Amino acid sequence: MWFEDIEIGTKHTLGEYRFVEDEMIAFAKKYDPQTFHVDPQAAKQSIFGGLIASGWMTVAVWMKLMTAKLTPESAGASVSPGFEDLRWYKPVRPGTALTYSTEVVEKRELKSRPHFGLVLNRNEARDQDGTLYMSIVTKVLRERRSAS
Amino acid sequence: MPLLHFEDFSAGQKLALDGRYTVTAEEIVAFARQFDPQPHHLDDEAAKKTVLGGLAASGWHVCAMAMRLIVDGLVGKAASQGAAGVEECRWLKPVRPGDVLRLELEVLETRAPSSRSDIGFVKIRWDLFNQREQVAMMISAPMFLRRT
Repeated sequence: MWFEDIEIGTKHTLGEYRFVEDEMIAFAKKYDPQTFHVDPQAAKQSIFGGLIASGWMTVAVWMKLMTAKLTPESAGASVSPGFEDLRWYKPVRPGTALTYSTEVVEKRELKSRPHFGLVLNRNEARDQDGTLYMSIVTKVLRERRSAS
Repeated sequence: MPLLHFEDFSAGQKLALDGRYTVTAEEIVAFARQFDPQPHHLDDEAAKKTVLGGLAASGWHVCAMAMRLIVDGLVGKAASQGAAGVEECRWLKPVRPGDVLRLELEVLETRAPSSRSDIGFVKIRWDLFNQREQVAMMISAPMFLRRT
């Protein structure tokens, strides 16, 4: 799909992911070994009152669900220069199931790279009650049809 | 050593962390299999055909490795009260097998909210350097610290 074909307002549900204690701890031991991410007993005395997932795992799961939706063509064609406005609203505890969604919110033409356009998506993770746990604005470079 | 509190930070302050993170192909592939299974993160041969020109770590993996450096080098030594998100992240250079990463921090802003006397807000810029002295990733993120 070309930059020109992407429409602002297009929204997709990416799928659901249930956070399991063992996986939360395994991720945190490697990348974010703070007490409340790695030690269920000690976490009870922390400001969170129990074990919670690393925020970086919450957002890595977004990528996991997103890649499951990518076709080989769109995967190879998309490169991201970064993201902005990542927010963690609520701690994610063992057993929490989050549903991730993505919506195109902005398209920017790039003077510096005329063959590409930048597409911004706002992504959210919510539980079954609709409570928001995480949001992030991701950016992806898309080739322009005019460049082909 | 006493824990660092909000009052120990001031705008303009710079801190080079001692920690180093050596990136391996095995770890790049393992992270990608779990969270970001795209060809340029999984297979060197396939990656050569992409814009990255060879195996490179998922951007989310790069964030996670930087988090490990900041947990070991700063968070563990500070009266941290967690973080609520990331303002901006830019992936500037591919992170490849054999790269040795280190982190330099700069305090951008400190703010003591009038609504809470126990917590202060410190906005920090993270520059993740590789062994070629290139900034591979830049993040700006607020964190919360206890006040003395």
